Amino acid sequence: MTPPHKTNGVGVQAGDTQICVVMVGLPARGKSLIAQKAQRYLKWLSIDAMVFNVGNYRRQDSPQPGADFFDQSNAEGERMRRAAAEAAVTDMLKWFAKGGVVGILDATNSTKARRRWVKERCDAQGIETLFVESQCDDEDIIMSNILEVKTTSPDYQGQDPETAVQDFRKRIRNYEKVYQTIDEEENDLTYLKIMNVGKQVIINRIQDYLQSRVVYYLMNLHIKPRSIWLSRHGESEFNLEGKIGGDANLSPRGEMYARKLPELVRQSVGDDRPLTVWTSTLKRTIATARFLPENYNQLQWKALDELDSGVCDCLTYQEISELYPEDFKARDEDKYNYRYRGGESYRDVVIRLEPIIMELERSENILIVTHQAVLRCIYAYFMKKSQADSPWMAVPLHTLIKLTPKAYGTLEERYDAKIPAVSTWRGKGSVAKHEDPNATTDSIGKADGAV
Amino acid sequence: MDTLLTAEIAANSPRYRRRSSTFIDGVHDLPDENASPMAPAQLYSTMSGRLFHSGRIAIVLVGPPARGKTHISVSLCRYLQWLGVKTRVFHLGDYRRATMGPNVDVPEDYFFVNASPSSVLLRGKIVKKCREDIYAWLNHENGQVAIYDAVNPLASGRRSLAKEFAKHDVQTLFLESYVTDEKILQENARSVKISSPDFVGMDPDDAAKLYLKRIDIKIPSFETMNESDLNYVKMINAGQTIQYNNVSFGYLSYRIIFYLMNLHIKSRQTFFARAGTSSHEDSYKMDAPLSEEGKEYAKKMTETLLAHREAERAASVVKGGADVPLKPLTVWTSTRKRTIETAEYLKELGYPVRQRSQMSQLNPGVCEKLSERAIRRIYPDEVLMHEKDPYHHRYPRAESYHDLAVRLEPIILELEREQNDLLIIAHESVLRVLYGYLMACDAMAIPTLKFPRDEIIEIIPASYQNEAKRIHIPGLAPEMIPGSPEDIKIPVPLSGVASPMSSIGTPAEPVNPLSED
Repeated sequence: MTPPHKTNGVGVQAGDTQICVVMVGLPARGKSLIAQKAQRYLKWLSIDAMVFNVGNYRRQDSPQPGADFFDQSNAEGERMRRAAAEAAVTDMLKWFAKGGVVGILDATNSTKARRRWVKERCDAQGIETLFVESQCDDEDIIMSNILEVKTTSPDYQGQDPETAVQDFRKRIRNYEKVYQTIDEEENDLTYLKIMNVGKQVIINRIQDYLQSRVVYYLMNLHIKPRSIWLSRHGESEFNLEGKIGGDANLSPRGEMYARKLPELVRQSVGDDRPLTVWTSTLKRTIATARFLPENYNQLQWKALDELDSGVCDCLTYQEISELYPEDFKARDEDKYNYRYRGGESYRDVVIRLEPIIMELERSENILIVTHQAVLRCIYAYFMKKSQADSPWMAVPLHTLIKLTPKAYGTLEERYDAKIPAVSTWRGKGSVAKHEDPNATTDSIGKADGAV
Repeated sequence: MDTLLTAEIAANSPRYRRRSSTFIDGVHDLPDENASPMAPAQLYSTMSGRLFHSGRIAIVLVGPPARGKTHISVSLCRYLQWLGVKTRVFHLGDYRRATMGPNVDVPEDYFFVNASPSSVLLRGKIVKKCREDIYAWLNHENGQVAIYDAVNPLASGRRSLAKEFAKHDVQTLFLESYVTDEKILQENARSVKISSPDFVGMDPDDAAKLYLKRIDIKIPSFETMNESDLNYVKMINAGQTIQYNNVSFGYLSYRIIFYLMNLHIKSRQTFFARAGTSSHEDSYKMDAPLSEEGKEYAKKMTETLLAHREAERAASVVKGGADVPLKPLTVWTSTRKRTIETAEYLKELGYPVRQRSQMSQLNPGVCEKLSERAIRRIYPDEVLMHEKDPYHHRYPRAESYHDLAVRLEPIILELEREQNDLLIIAHESVLRVLYGYLMACDAMAIPTLKFPRDEIIEIIPASYQNEAKRIHIPGLAPEMIPGSPEDIKIPVPLSGVASPMSSIGTPAEPVNPLSED
């Protein structure tokens, strides 16, 4: 993850540790969900993370096996499942050898012998192991997991949902026969054991800060339904002049958006429940949020301020390309890592946003009014955008975005205020000015903006 | 009977809780709320004054002596205060000592389960006084968290305690330190407990022995926590395992566990050093490299630090300490050139150096390159606001110290976790905040903390309150020492230049804005 050295800044340095997060638990305990979220969180923090799902390896040979396949007395099934685990672990270790930092082994790993085997394989290569067991006896939670996740699983694709659920329950029973929870005999392992959705938690032998961070993150995940609303500030005077950064006031059209925002929000929320509003400390976001109802609690966060463009602050792209032609070019080549002289890179912004993400994970309904680069970073976290794409993403002015996290991925809805605004978008490698994103064919994910 | 009489007088006197065990530290002496309404890293305030959607909480320590309860209480208190949670520690031992009076020991049977009626009475009085103070703190002083540092050995006692707190509308979270590892016990009794006021002036070994004797008396009556109906966190062997039984707690408990995961009880030093000076006039945006003088400084700082560590080790051996090698030393710098280059000599010597982007200096915003005069002329209103609250006020586009403290949160947890000795090379503004955390400074004091370049700061951990020591770096040119102005009313002093800059930062005597130009 070393940033290319044409960037003028020094990137984040991960520690020297490599961790294999080994999921442990019966089917339908939310293991894959936890694995996916952890991967998304770590990748977003520029920590190279990858999920290795043993089920995917197994499906290559037996795409849709019945429950009998998972009976421990089925020698053929046992052999194939073992082979799948072997293949997944082998691939994961290869990935570690190439510098991967956090590998997540998503499988039931339901016996002590299997866990010991994973640990020994990792130990041999100097990889730390962190076992994460999700244990749950709550029938309602298990059932809703079965329904929401597993009826959409590739194992049951195209099958009658009713039969699928029955077969899946039978599969779970087959696992239950041999399942061994993590106990005192395994006290030499580093593990996190979460029982009954966090009613009991055991944390054993945490080795370093990164592990504690992962554990803290996992403890903060909640499953209550909620949404997050994102908006850029209304069009600013600087937007009109094509200047980046600064602390300008809203333009008359930006002002119109501010007045329209309460209605747009009410329409999207659907009822009168108050939201908590987070803005940056810059005038244009505070002004944009100022007409929201009085019972909305408002907080200003410095961490939500726009990416600091250093010496280029308050310049137009034209001026930047004339004054700092090399920088202008370097930024196009690696926008995520490019750090403005005396300013920030997208990578820096992500690091300062980390406490915000932790607060967001534990909070319920939040409306964030912020800036293009910051919004791209928050959006990238929820929508799992890559570092190569996220800095180029199109986030138009005068649009409210609603994100609703679900078990597998996040739902997105956009509400257009229908108030015209200038474009703050600039295509990669294109001319030094803002353009109309709709004029190019592949505007989604390829548009640039103010910073 | 004299003992009891004294105790009775003390216990019946008006509220006498000492403000702290040592009378001088920030953890125990809370600043006047009106003078300092927000804590260093507090993100928001609420009408009730309570944070994290939590009501009033009693964190009740559980465990025999020498389990690090006081260390855990004080560290946790410092962290929660830092986050803005109004927290106070109530060490029952303080009440015991205050009740008994100086140099008077408690009766022989004081800690026994079947103590004599007079000892039971005495115990009851001491406990009652402490509880009254806890309620006073929660009910009348707008406290949110009371940390009750006592042994609380019996399940029945803990249940009734939780019930009693519930009656006062206070939630209870028990925090047990459970130790099975003999080595940790010995170490703890020897090195940690001797800084407790009980043992002032005693020989460390005798103090350890006395402590262990008390433990022997206490152990037969102790029941470890297993009450599934209570909220509890059990730290086993100083955090090797953490068990959490959560009946009714929310986010704040996770935050506490996150902190506990990173807390350890091993003793290690933290050193702070300034970065060297830069070749030409530095500015926030320039990120200039070190000058020749700066490199000279880096070398002298390195030599002084290494010599100091060796000298400390030798002194400890002379005093009868074990002749063990020095703890490894890790170096953290920011991603700014001056700090990285200041660590260059240490890197050449093989010490690991890590760059942390969170540790870059306070962003000066519009004040960059402006003289103080110009700032006063252009932003008179901002200057007024800044002078009122130099910790929270931010100049346009600048960062406040509060912003800096919030962004340093991951660093603070890593700081707690680090087991090696640690040298932090950073801009003075960053050192102020980190020092402010470790020494539990009041937010308002942080912007004016001083770190002249000719001193390395050493933070020595101790159970009741960390201690700071200043190590002189000899032979530096006088002009490079006072890098930052002494009174910071304007953010981000230009600390990088080799000559003291009078242009930015308020000089010690206030300037009359009307008299300029």
